[in-house]
Amino acid sequence: MRGDEVGLNPNEYESICGIMGRSPNDLELGLFGALWSEHCSYKSSKGLLARFGHSGPHVVQGPGENAGVVRLDENLEVAFKVESHNHPSYVEPVQGAATGVGGILRDIIAMGARPIAVADMLRFGTDEKSHAIMRGVVKGVGLYGNAIGIPTVTGDLGVSETYDGNPLVNVLAVGVRRSDARVGAGGACPGQWLLLVGQRTGRDGIHGASLLASRDFSGGDEDLRPTVQVGDPFLGKILMEATLETVSRGLAAAVQDLGAAGLASALAELCHLSKIGAEIWLERVPLRQPGLSPYEIMMSETQERMLLAVSEENLAAALEIFSRYEVLATVIGQGSASQRLILYHNSRIEADVDPDWLTEGAPRQTVDPSYWDALANQRPAVHHPAPSLARDLLLDVLAHPDVRDRFPIYRQYDSMVQTGTVYGPDHDAAVLKVRGSTHGLVLAVAGTGRWAAIDPYAGGAGVVLRVLAALAAQGAVALGLTDGVNAGNPHVKSSYDLMAALFRGVSDAAFAANVPITGGNVSLHNETQGQSIWPTVMMGALGRHSNPLHPISEHLGREGDLIYVVNPAPPNWNGSVAAFLTTGLSSYPRCDLGNVEKLLQAMREWVLSGIPTSVRTIGMGGLAATLVRMMAVSDPSLGVELTLPDEGFAETERFYNEAPLQWVAIVRPDQAEAADEYWRTAGVKMTRIGIVSSQDGIHIANRHDWSRETLLRAWRSLDKEVGW
Amino acid sequence: MRIGVVTFPGSNCDQDTLDALDTLGVDTLRLWYRDADLAGADAVVLPGGFSYGDYLRSGALAAKSPIMTAIQEAVVDRQLPLLGICNGFQILTEAGLLPGGLRANHHGQFRCDWQRVKVIEASPLFPGLEAGEVLKLPIAHGEGSYYMDEESLQSLFAHGEAWLQYVDADGQAQSWANPNGSVANLAGVARGSVAALMPHPERAMMDILGSDDGHRLLTAWLCGLERRALYARG
Repeated sequence: MRGDEVGLNPNEYESICGIMGRSPNDLELGLFGALWSEHCSYKSSKGLLARFGHSGPHVVQGPGENAGVVRLDENLEVAFKVESHNHPSYVEPVQGAATGVGGILRDIIAMGARPIAVADMLRFGTDEKSHAIMRGVVKGVGLYGNAIGIPTVTGDLGVSETYDGNPLVNVLAVGVRRSDARVGAGGACPGQWLLLVGQRTGRDGIHGASLLASRDFSGGDEDLRPTVQVGDPFLGKILMEATLETVSRGLAAAVQDLGAAGLASALAELCHLSKIGAEIWLERVPLRQPGLSPYEIMMSETQERMLLAVSEENLAAALEIFSRYEVLATVIGQGSASQRLILYHNSRIEADVDPDWLTEGAPRQTVDPSYWDALANQRPAVHHPAPSLARDLLLDVLAHPDVRDRFPIYRQYDSMVQTGTVYGPDHDAAVLKVRGSTHGLVLAVAGTGRWAAIDPYAGGAGVVLRVLAALAAQGAVALGLTDGVNAGNPHVKSSYDLMAALFRGVSDAAFAANVPITGGNVSLHNETQGQSIWPTVMMGALGRHSNPLHPISEHLGREGDLIYVVNPAPPNWNGSVAAFLTTGLSSYPRCDLGNVEKLLQAMREWVLSGIPTSVRTIGMGGLAATLVRMMAVSDPSLGVELTLPDEGFAETERFYNEAPLQWVAIVRPDQAEAADEYWRTAGVKMTRIGIVSSQDGIHIANRHDWSRETLLRAWRSLDKEVGW
Repeated sequence: MRIGVVTFPGSNCDQDTLDALDTLGVDTLRLWYRDADLAGADAVVLPGGFSYGDYLRSGALAAKSPIMTAIQEAVVDRQLPLLGICNGFQILTEAGLLPGGLRANHHGQFRCDWQRVKVIEASPLFPGLEAGEVLKLPIAHGEGSYYMDEESLQSLFAHGEAWLQYVDADGQAQSWANPNGSVANLAGVARGSVAALMPHPERAMMDILGSDDGHRLLTAWLCGLERRALYARG
């Protein structure tokens, strides 16, 4: 075999020969090809990821393990991470999305945590094929999540032509573990047995990571279908229960899930993180069909498998658990003190490598400090002036797929199983109660689309602030962030630069808020025939809620209550849905990052003070859509009487402005003085924009009236093209 | 009194159901699908989920598991009170313990939503739940379309076995209030000591989660068990 057959370039092949002191055989070359792929090694993005802030007072586990972990209280810890399954979802939408859910759930389980929530962050194109992909992906997310019994509690949807041919399917999962039942991939010791559990290994998904997910689409990609894996949520469920029972009884020294690059990656990661070697007897790996070669066994991406390290004294008890759940468990090897990963097949040595060669030995594109510094520089801005406020634009904004109610999607997901969902997908952020704790969790997700289309720095920063603002609106303490970066071909300079600016924006905003990024995922090569997607980051923020049974309201309160915008941005509608619908793409505004941490803290404490009745973060569709979302969960007789502080185009720019860190707050008249006083002391502007009235709908100073029915009909419009 | 909750491979509402019963202060025990006896349980709940991944037909494989043999014997021999929820309902029709069958939702999609259901006829299994009462409960299923032929349906209503019906906000069994295409909007049926419903009462135990009508429904069921026990003691 040649290097390029496993996705390696000539330089990489040379360097492998150098490290090994000889040429690799085919299996060894395959191991390098898989582990050094973009998908497994993050070779183009690691230098950028290293710039993120990873530490903080709540962090138990930062990047490098299967998932990041933060502390919820003295007894419980929370593992969470986002993962992408973009390329497989294009080739086979239902299975691609389903295995995306299964894959991230196994990452959480590998940390010894029981999954309690899933969030889906999706981007689709606008052509006919994209509609079919969307239907399939939503079906797939539900297929796995519903069956395994993990609620899908929140999500994010974006639609644009840029995703024609490159849909994005990012899934975030959250799990809870006891702090005395920690496990990870790094705990294995020499002499311990390596147990492969779950599904029998088949020929599915061979080279999924290295060939499918690490190169661009070129058209005619049907030949890639065999590289897509197939999920089995039923087996996933019993595998999860058996694995978690093994962990909670302290029987597993290490756990690693089998995902991209299958056994090759799992063995390399487990050995590397545990600082051990291993001897593997490949003929012992249970097969779904006879005759798989050692190469196929190592590269297969068959789903629903885990690798455990178990000591001799615990082996019988562990096997007994798997047998009770009728899950296949097989000793396939043993840890060693040698620093060598040696693969035997019927006593013949098939491969002999140092696991560190495959993992930390992978090439890495370095990032020059001056390059990093320059990424924050302003780009030439594209700004379009706004027209005066017009009636129909609001309805068009509400009906845009980025803004409208996601109900047709999320009603296909079980959002209530496990009975912890206090605020589900019909809210801005999910609020979850947690078994065994008085504290709850808040999970907020959002992604860029238009926001990062022209100025990725602004979009990356904006989306971090968007999710943190949602946590603050619930009075929650931010514990950590996870990021899913999706971008084009890193070897094309212009694509790389856009992606790098996106990273820089995310990094700066997270530092400004002083919240660590504990892990995430990078998916590159989202290009079709040389056309890259907009660099797109999906952010998830996890917060600690002190009183999850009493989340802050999102409704309009009652007649006569006052409506404020806290921290109103200057009138600027660029980057918004409204601007896009009117004039096309424009530059999303950059936010002053100087005061972010204090502002978020002030909002959090204000919410807890009980002064506001309701708070909701301004998001997609701006103030206008945010008011409609609040109206949708309010007494149907209530409406909003607005007096925006601007006139002409500035009124439009305030109404649709999507700039980050703005909140709509509902305050009772008898709390108005306290509210004024609070924000004056905090040095933050708060503008009164109207009053809750008994006339339903939105009314602007006798000039514009939209009835509740008109607004909700537009916002809840179904997408006939998609078929919902 | 002890209530057994069965875990089949793929059950995913077993813990929720145990939690709900704990909230009501009743003793519970876990039953395992491979158990051959009921470990002294006075009543049994078959919880929701995707037993055996819904492979073949939802409920079909679980209906053949060892614990179901013990349950069937106990229903026949001593009228074991048995409550099926969602997948539990599917298992009960597959096991022949309840009439009819559950097919894929008519729109072909999984559906998770809040739903109003009306008590068609007061059942001795649920004292306190009066005919005409409307409950707000969540549904979450892909195969919840209850079906039986016209003759069986007439007999079901004639014998007071048609128990719960999907209704609109006014309590009317309108076709548009039917989330899955069930015949006669049926959401739950009861026969002898066996009752089952597609909605999830164990998810509606407190207002903050959307409704506490599940609390009422399960309380009524427990009340029925108590009465039965008192009656048995004379």
